[in-house]
Amino acid sequence: MYPDYMLKSIKNVEKTRAKRLQLAKKYGKQVYDPMSEEEREKILNIYHPDYKEDALRELRIGPNKGEKIINEVVDVMEAYPRNPSKTFDLSNFDYETDVLVIGAGSAGLSATLEASQKDVNTMLVTKLRLGDSNSMMAQGGIQAADQEDDSPVNHYLDVIGGGHFDNKKDLVEALVMDAPQSIKWLEELGVMFDKNEDGSMMVKSGGGTSRNRMHSTRDYTGAGICRVLRDEVQNRADKIDILEYCAATELILDDKGQIAGAVVYHLDLKEYFLIKAKSVILATGGFGRLHIRDFETTNHYGATADGLVMAYRAGANLLYMDSVQYHPTGAVFPEQIVGFLCTEKIRGLGAQPVNKDGELFVYPLEPRDIEASAFIRECEEDRGVKTPSGLKGIWLDSPLIEQLSGEGTIEKNLPAMLRQFQRFDIDIRKYPMLVFPTLHYQNGGLEINAKAETSIPGLYVAGENSGGVHGRNRLMGNSQLDIIVFGRRAGTNAANRVLDGVKLGKPTLEHVDKYAKQVEKLGIDKNIISPMILPDYIPEHIKAKQLTTNYQGTLF
Amino acid sequence: MEEKRKMIKVYLAGELFKVPEGSTIMMALEYAGFQLKRGVGCREGYCGACGTVYREKGDYKLQGGLACQTVVTDGMAVAQIPFVPAEKPTYDLEDLTPDVNTFTELFPSVFRCVSCNTCTKACPQDIEVMDYIQAIIRGDIAKAADISFDCIRCGLCAMRCPAEIVQYDVATLARRLTGKYLSKKSPELDKRLEEMEAGKFDEEIKKLKNMPKDKLTKEYYNREIKIS
Amino acid sequence: MKLPYFPGCTLKTTAKNFESSALATAKKIGMELIELDRWNCCGVVSSLTSDDLMKHLAPVRNFLRVQEMNKQEKIKDENRLVTLCAMCYNTLSLSNKRMQENPDDLDKINDFMHKEEEDYHGNVDVVHFLSILKEYGFKKLASKVINPLKDMKVASYYGCTLLRPKEISIDDTEDPKLMEDLVETLGAKVIDWDAKSRCCGSYHTVNNVDIVHRLVQGIIDDARKHGAEAIITSCPLCAFNLDTRQSEIKEKNDDFQTIPIYYFTQLMGIALGIEENELGLEFNKIDPNALLKDLKLI
Repeated sequence: MYPDYMLKSIKNVEKTRAKRLQLAKKYGKQVYDPMSEEEREKILNIYHPDYKEDALRELRIGPNKGEKIINEVVDVMEAYPRNPSKTFDLSNFDYETDVLVIGAGSAGLSATLEASQKDVNTMLVTKLRLGDSNSMMAQGGIQAADQEDDSPVNHYLDVIGGGHFDNKKDLVEALVMDAPQSIKWLEELGVMFDKNEDGSMMVKSGGGTSRNRMHSTRDYTGAGICRVLRDEVQNRADKIDILEYCAATELILDDKGQIAGAVVYHLDLKEYFLIKAKSVILATGGFGRLHIRDFETTNHYGATADGLVMAYRAGANLLYMDSVQYHPTGAVFPEQIVGFLCTEKIRGLGAQPVNKDGELFVYPLEPRDIEASAFIRECEEDRGVKTPSGLKGIWLDSPLIEQLSGEGTIEKNLPAMLRQFQRFDIDIRKYPMLVFPTLHYQNGGLEINAKAETSIPGLYVAGENSGGVHGRNRLMGNSQLDIIVFGRRAGTNAANRVLDGVKLGKPTLEHVDKYAKQVEKLGIDKNIISPMILPDYIPEHIKAKQLTTNYQGTLF
Repeated sequence: MEEKRKMIKVYLAGELFKVPEGSTIMMALEYAGFQLKRGVGCREGYCGACGTVYREKGDYKLQGGLACQTVVTDGMAVAQIPFVPAEKPTYDLEDLTPDVNTFTELFPSVFRCVSCNTCTKACPQDIEVMDYIQAIIRGDIAKAADISFDCIRCGLCAMRCPAEIVQYDVATLARRLTGKYLSKKSPELDKRLEEMEAGKFDEEIKKLKNMPKDKLTKEYYNREIKIS
Repeated sequence: MKLPYFPGCTLKTTAKNFESSALATAKKIGMELIELDRWNCCGVVSSLTSDDLMKHLAPVRNFLRVQEMNKQEKIKDENRLVTLCAMCYNTLSLSNKRMQENPDDLDKINDFMHKEEEDYHGNVDVVHFLSILKEYGFKKLASKVINPLKDMKVASYYGCTLLRPKEISIDDTEDPKLMEDLVETLGAKVIDWDAKSRCCGSYHTVNNVDIVHRLVQGIIDDARKHGAEAIITSCPLCAFNLDTRQSEIKEKNDDFQTIPIYYFTQLMGIALGIEENELGLEFNKIDPNALLKDLKLI
């Protein structure tokens, strides 16, 4: 429950509620004037984290040398490899396979299923458990233009406009044209999509969509899909080798510059394994746990950008690593669920953002970056509410939903949200939620083409660690689609490369040493290594005495 | 800055630690100095990696919860369940029928249920676990899929079940059978797939791809929006 | 009359015809059998073990549902719980009796369910649908018969679970008449025979089917010897053994003469003029229609 001083601020919210309810009844969603183009530009420039002067800095090595990208990404890029190449005996591999998939979220799982379908040897390695990923956590939905009044053409326009026209066109085409068949594929595997009585899909709209196109499996869409894919991968145990708790740390190339495998590190055994493979698919997810600009995140524990680091070192290039998606409404109280995503649907149902004095200060349905900036403005100008642990937030007035649409609306439409807060004795039907923007999605990543290929022959990338599909801004419901479409494409193409009879040359990790030399030239502290593998939440006073973890990155 | 916080005692795997009041079990473990590898995942209650059993001071009941969602209390004794031993039967969904016989074949242990309801009491998602097992026994697969929908497979039900049923695997199969066989097919999806097969949208997409940016921008802002 | 009703798992899976015919007959004579909102297995599997009190949790949970329905006023002061399956009747009755007679046991069960359910007070009365029919009155029932089963020679098979142990028997354990009275009411000819309360082999059907073949053949031979053309039963397991196993017996023994097996409410349905498609006759293994057609009943 909220402490007394916060309840006092809630009193202010309650005082203005009747008036705001009238506004909503009179003007619908338009309870506040949306910002003009100039206002938008101004607020973004002053308050959006990406626009802060110190948000980006120049990357000094590798294929994207000279480009300004996100600070925390530069940190892991300008870091030493965990091991020099001489650590490993490349004449002696622990495993050999045709297709190696790294990462077991929905992209990796889809890739694995498609590759194994082609009767090539397939191996799946994952840092944590099968299915541990951001995929599992998605709530809202998956887009596909399968309705009568919709078409892939509308979907194409929405995606490319939403991405500020920076998207790679071939990737957008692949995304929207594969969408209906992806839904079909998932349903045939047993995903339980929400349906109307007659069997037609129950579809909703989302930010930036011009049609109702959002398919869902209640408010557990990511889990609804991912747990089915995982079950199917487990069913094919005779065809698929699985290594869990194995974090990939480097990619292995051959002397012709083709991909030749990966080095993986078993977290419990502290043992390295060398895996030889003719094709490698990276599906390692995003970077939320780098806590860009110290933001809390909605991301999974394992979202540490490992794939970006490995592939960049091996010579693959990055796209749009200057943009981050912040979701406006992450929980900041209770402390136990800080960063937890409070879905956009809450505002869609009529909840209004108000400051500590109970004042409505922004149109509730501005695009994510604008809305987030307005929240940050309120807090920076001392109109936010401070939590006992020192965070700040603004109120999302959820009780308004039931006053607008009747009792029971929250229980019916936001069951997961209601349950989450009830665990901490907060009834969101009676009390508002305290929220602040939270780090949500990595818009850019490793550049791919429509076959999910990178510039390194044999290296494929699918999912959040790829770049180009969404330009500089992703729309809700397109990441669930992205991971299925490009996961499947990567799986098929990686297997085809094997079936086409690719021949590997002599395996090498020379690129790792070369990269380390460049890092050394920059004068980087030797203790700074990457990939990070897992974040470290041990308090400073204890960490100071744990002598093996005194550097950026993590060693077990 | 963080305020000075009251510290409470907790027993983590039997060992006594002092941690700040209000911590979740996961925060308590990290505060104590453990860097977690197993028993940790999404940290938001969606992935089921952090199933935990605990007893509170003065209470005989062994309770279950998610480490990332359960707040420690003074004197609490905690043990994490990093892994639930269970062999998942493998199957080809294409060969199965959505009825009780499939479960008799693949999960015979289901029929050992004595209705003790311990599974339901152990579930951190408040799912009526026993009710969905009972629905399977009487062949109502769709009902089992419906009741079990919010399952995150933490495995606490299976760890507590005296009949040694692996409920979450049973539920996974029930949902997949329902999604594939028992849900009505969507007519508009099949129609769209036929249209795409025939190349209906290829030309228009090609046109958009070749459009200069200024024209495309105009097209985007002028597009008709039909949402409800 | 509204009565809470417990279907049991078998009537929802392999013996759907028993349920559909019984519900149709009950409706026809003005009774509404309301299925418990939430119910679980009667507990039969665990009742076969010699284990402790655990096995009584399942039955007691179902009794609590009756308490709940009264509280929610879905039924009015009605503590009887109707069963159709003889095995469920047996399991639920025995457990209920134990709870009613051993308050210590009941306390332990209530304690175990502490904080989860209300206490069970032991006041539910488990009854079989046959007993409800008797109470309704066979005379009254006779007046509803519009298609009497004239000339049909019917042997009533009770099996074990309706009659034993004696404390829960729905009728005289040694010489039951309830089903015979029903057969007479429906206008059929009652066959007096020896095997009506013999065991059908029960769960031996799972892994010792030879025993079942021997017992079933004995029962059917006896029915035929006494001139029966049909057998009725009230237990889905008995029906399974008697019905399904006949073709296997026939394969082994060419002289064996098969006989149709009906759930008692199926014949009742014919006599009351209920549409055949409501009676689930298509699920019966030995052709149930030939005899009915011969006698011009359908």
